[in-house]
Amino acid sequence: MAEKKTGGFNEGKRRKESILDMSKYMDKQIRVKFAGGREATGILKGYDALLNLVLDNTVEYLRDSDDPSKLSEELTRNLGLVVCRGTALVLICPHDGVEAIPNPFITQ
Amino acid sequence: MLPLSLLKTAQSHPMLVELKNGETYNGHLVSCDSWMNINLRDVICTSKDGDRFWRMPECYIRGSTIKYLRIPDEVIDMVKEDAQAKSRNRAEMNKNRGGNAGQNQNQRGGRNGNRNNFGMRQGNQGQGQGNRPLAQGNKPRK
Repeated sequence: MAEKKTGGFNEGKRRKESILDMSKYMDKQIRVKFAGGREATGILKGYDALLNLVLDNTVEYLRDSDDPSKLSEELTRNLGLVVCRGTALVLICPHDGVEAIPNPFITQ
Repeated sequence: MLPLSLLKTAQSHPMLVELKNGETYNGHLVSCDSWMNINLRDVICTSKDGDRFWRMPECYIRGSTIKYLRIPDEVIDMVKEDAQAKSRNRAEMNKNRGGNAGQNQNQRGGRNGNRNNFGMRQGNQGQGQGNRPLAQGNKPRK
């Protein structure tokens, strides 16, 4: 009961647990997409409940010079150690296992 | 039917998610929350123009970036069952409440009349000690 009064950030029972367990990505390379279209990959060094992330050895994928709507896998820039703001994140996925594939949907 | 109830019912089903940026994600819904944040597994991502594709084992998508989700037709039947069960439960709860009210009426005449008790039910914290016994007769408060 006394705990209830503290009302701090980690308010035990009341707090809803995130459906995403970021701990499984700790020290692993993850890929993130941001609102606005930027994408980056880096090694997860930390995170909080708001999904702010600390990424190390971060590499941002840049836009294709002749088609700015596309990101190029080759054209990158190194960002190093980065704090990603949670509210700007659109997508998080593990870097391993992500691969470009031909059209998997039958187009007829 | 509530959108988030349908989504919750659709867990483990395949679905298509289109984001505001035009990308689409096909995958099985693993979990979702009240912000519509979702986890997908066995995902195929399609670029906005629809001519490039990526496979990813899993991904987490922020709910606020979703434009819409396409959900298999059969899920709608399952969510109806859920809703009926819920309304049945609610009806039962109301019945119990009515029973309690009857009991309280029997205690009429004491210092703690129905009016005070009604205040308790609304979660009014500023009650005197005299109301305790009545309060225990009601549903336990959280």
